[in-house]
Amino acid sequence: MKEWVKFLILVAVFLLFYFAPAGGPGVVAALAAGLALLQEYARLHVLTCLVPAFFIAGSIAVYVRKDAVLKLLGPTAKKIIAYPVATISGGILAVCSCTILPLFTGIYKRGAGIGPAAAFLFTGPAINVTAILLTGSVLGWDFAVGRLVAAMVISIVAGLFLAFVFREHDRKNSNGDFVAGMSSDLPYSTTTIALFLLLQLGVLVVFGLAIEPGLKRALVALLIGAVLAIVLVKFQKEHTVEWIHETWDLTKKILPYLFVGVFVAGTIEVIIPQAFITRLVGENTLLSNAVASTFGAFMYFATLTEVPIIQKLMALGMGRGPALTLFLTGNALSLPSMIVLFKVMGKKQASAYILSIMVLSVFAGMIFGELL
Amino acid sequence: MIIKILGNGCSKCKTLERRLLALRDKYSLPFELQKVTDLDEIVNYGVMMTPGLVLDGALKSVGTVPNDNQLLSWIKETSA
Repeated sequence: MKEWVKFLILVAVFLLFYFAPAGGPGVVAALAAGLALLQEYARLHVLTCLVPAFFIAGSIAVYVRKDAVLKLLGPTAKKIIAYPVATISGGILAVCSCTILPLFTGIYKRGAGIGPAAAFLFTGPAINVTAILLTGSVLGWDFAVGRLVAAMVISIVAGLFLAFVFREHDRKNSNGDFVAGMSSDLPYSTTTIALFLLLQLGVLVVFGLAIEPGLKRALVALLIGAVLAIVLVKFQKEHTVEWIHETWDLTKKILPYLFVGVFVAGTIEVIIPQAFITRLVGENTLLSNAVASTFGAFMYFATLTEVPIIQKLMALGMGRGPALTLFLTGNALSLPSMIVLFKVMGKKQASAYILSIMVLSVFAGMIFGELL
Repeated sequence: MIIKILGNGCSKCKTLERRLLALRDKYSLPFELQKVTDLDEIVNYGVMMTPGLVLDGALKSVGTVPNDNQLLSWIKETSA
């Protein structure tokens, strides 16, 4: 950030504080609403959903072998394998959005080409474990699954479209090493690691069940005990330390922004007039989905903050279709990410990618709004 | 010897850098540390999971922070 930008931001904040009608009823109500939503998240979602989700994401980062998956996205990979792998591999490979770009560049320039790369780029942020689990926990599992399926379908359609339009490009770049130097020396069986992941997922699922509190506590304790047993008996200390590190790293990267996002989401419920939202994106029409798609494409949502924002927009009357559209473009595109895309892919390819995502998301939202 | 860390500023890249600098101080190792942040250049090494660690042109590890013993033995091997 340039110094004069920092200065302007400070001036803006100062002016805001100077002129803010601090005692006004609107302001007090907005702050209270922000706090209320923060409390809701702190009580309902942080311990029972986010903390287990961070541990699961940390385990994926440390214990799941990635070289095998990446090889399926190499320059010699068959299309029929590369596309499905690209759409789901985001969940394994890109635990955090900061790891997506090197992977995308690699697949695009050295690997399976623009189609699978675009598919990976689009689903990467949408398909990650923490995002799906939080969406399900807050908005319901139909939304979590809808988001997942829509993202996968769109990514394949957009990928095939781009691969077709830019087929010349793909012939140029299939030389050089792909996936070099990946170590695959984890001395654990696949069963152990799968069990380890499933037990952690079990903790999260049991937290969400509507059963008697005593039974719930016992089950959670049992599952956590089993996880710990695997850690102590099976895993080497070095890897456990790495697991804790990864988990903590993700938590640090995501949770502070999420709290800010939740607070902001709480305040918008008071600040934005309900009639405005209802009129703009209340119905499941082409126009309201297009508005949601465009807004999501330019707006930057920090990881997971799209969940509370959409939750509150829906409370204000946003339709389910436009909400799904906003999930799709809000996650995958933002002004900063567009700038990077233009640099990596070039003007034509990047514009085609962005436009196809925006258009396809509109249709996905409309279908979701009609059906569910 | 030239050691390169390939990475666009991820936290593991910083950890790796810190470890290497600490080792250099502790054992007064004669290497120069370079950071490669350009994505194209990183990808040219075939690296997609950062950080990548390159000792005198040879890629040693990808996506993880190797432990100190491993780092030391690579440095010894390469300088021998």
